[in-house]
Amino acid sequence: MLRIYVWLYVAFLYAPIAIITLFSFHSSPSLTFPFEGFSLRWYARIFTNTTFMDSLWNSILVGTATAATTTVLGSLTALGLARLKGRVQTLFGLLSFGPVALPGLFLGIALVMLFSQIGLARSLFTVTIAHVLFTLPFFLEAVRSRIEYFDLSLEEAARDLGATPAQAFRLVTLPIIGPTIGGAAILSFALSFDEFIITVFVSGNNTTLPLTIWSMMRRAVSPDINAASVLSLSLSIGIILLGGLLVWYQRRSALNARAKDIQE
Amino acid sequence: MLKGSRREAMGLALVTPSFLFLLVFFIVPAALLFVCSFWLAHSFRLIPAFSFDNYSRALSASGFYVLTWNALKNGLCTAAFTVALSFPTAYFIVYRTRGNLLFYLILVSWFSSYLVRIYAWRVILGSNGLINTTLMQLGLIDHPIEVLLFSPFATILTLIHIMLPFGLLLLVSALRDVRREYIEAARDLGASPFEVLTRVMLPMCYKGIIGAFMFTFVISAGDFVTPQLLGGREGMTTGILIANQFRSSGNWPFGAAMAFLLLAAFLLVYFVFVRLLHLLRLAPGRRFHD
Repeated sequence: MLRIYVWLYVAFLYAPIAIITLFSFHSSPSLTFPFEGFSLRWYARIFTNTTFMDSLWNSILVGTATAATTTVLGSLTALGLARLKGRVQTLFGLLSFGPVALPGLFLGIALVMLFSQIGLARSLFTVTIAHVLFTLPFFLEAVRSRIEYFDLSLEEAARDLGATPAQAFRLVTLPIIGPTIGGAAILSFALSFDEFIITVFVSGNNTTLPLTIWSMMRRAVSPDINAASVLSLSLSIGIILLGGLLVWYQRRSALNARAKDIQE
Repeated sequence: MLKGSRREAMGLALVTPSFLFLLVFFIVPAALLFVCSFWLAHSFRLIPAFSFDNYSRALSASGFYVLTWNALKNGLCTAAFTVALSFPTAYFIVYRTRGNLLFYLILVSWFSSYLVRIYAWRVILGSNGLINTTLMQLGLIDHPIEVLLFSPFATILTLIHIMLPFGLLLLVSALRDVRREYIEAARDLGASPFEVLTRVMLPMCYKGIIGAFMFTFVISAGDFVTPQLLGGREGMTTGILIANQFRSSGNWPFGAAMAFLLLAAFLLVYFVFVRLLHLLRLAPGRRFHD
């Protein structure tokens, strides 16, 4: 019984995505059954659509800048939080969680207010700032459990044996937390790639992919959107799967190496 | 001792960059928005003032209550269904499966782009959409059912679809704290499945339930894109009204004031929900405070 329910749950989640994917290959513009045959014409149209391709490139740019910034800020914070205790840690944890505890609408209007008051023109730069704010809490949550179990005395042992702080970080800390941080960086990219609600307020003339899809949706229903949607979602799902595989592979090889050490 | 304080100083130094970032781009903008909610706007220019005009203007308009109720209704329905539908799946993942494959399969769907999912439901529910055309081809209906799309129903259905993976994630991590042994012990002592659920599991993952409910509630009640694209005229919410003030040449201070009123309504819902769990005796008693 429960098993059947769970599979229905999964089917409900994937059915709309499957339907969109199916119709993106439809040879006729109709979005209803009977299905008349496969064709790649909508994809051909979307790939020659310069607005779409430009915004895709912008999204990749913003996603990369966001992931890089969030990773630096987030890793420093996570390592810092592991050294702090009690009230400071709790307070900072609450503060860093704030941006996702509020609706995106609230962050969007607060940021646009700030940018207009300090005279910062809206551009991909302001979009990146907004995305860092939005992804940082997710990054911290993703690395938290790994960092909490990280034994600080390993780092201190390296220091006592004469390593400089930089050496201790590079030779001891990084190999342990590296895969987790890599996974969280990819998570940040994927979240930024899909972000729409805050972006709609803080973007200027250069738009990102979700904004382009949004303006396509507001105009007439055209089968182009199907192809655009499927491209967008397969990119974000692909990125997430890649990240997952990377973390899984590194964990497995680390476990194997440890098992070998024990055997020897 | 010395090592401990050096460690703390290092910790503070490491969190400083993020703290500054959050200060400048989160705390300051939120404070600015609050201050601005007391300002006035005159022909699209902001005039610093200290006036309650924006608040009284919102609170004296009957439309504001209707739209806020719509927003809260979207949020409450979505949160209730998301938690109720995800709980059995979370239970299955935590206690009945070994690997995490199913869990990851569900989480991956979370990354299938928010807008794309709204669009997909528009294709499915529209009057020329999949459901209507299929029903008509089968001869079950003569005319398309118009209320499927552009109604609060469409908004809530889509929001549930969007929120399910996120709700599940929060519920799974909450249930991972409820050890299997407690459930087995309760069962051995003669508790019925219903009693196991209401007297052991729910009180023990109380915080996780509140977290999952409130997160889904806040995100979906504050969402303006789904109701705008799928809700129709009846599904208009405060969120759309606020967004409009900030996009087209609108009244920013008025939008800011409405945003804070909406946040106040969210806080009220939080207190009522927590109180309700206590009244239903689903909250932990004094025995296990952690």
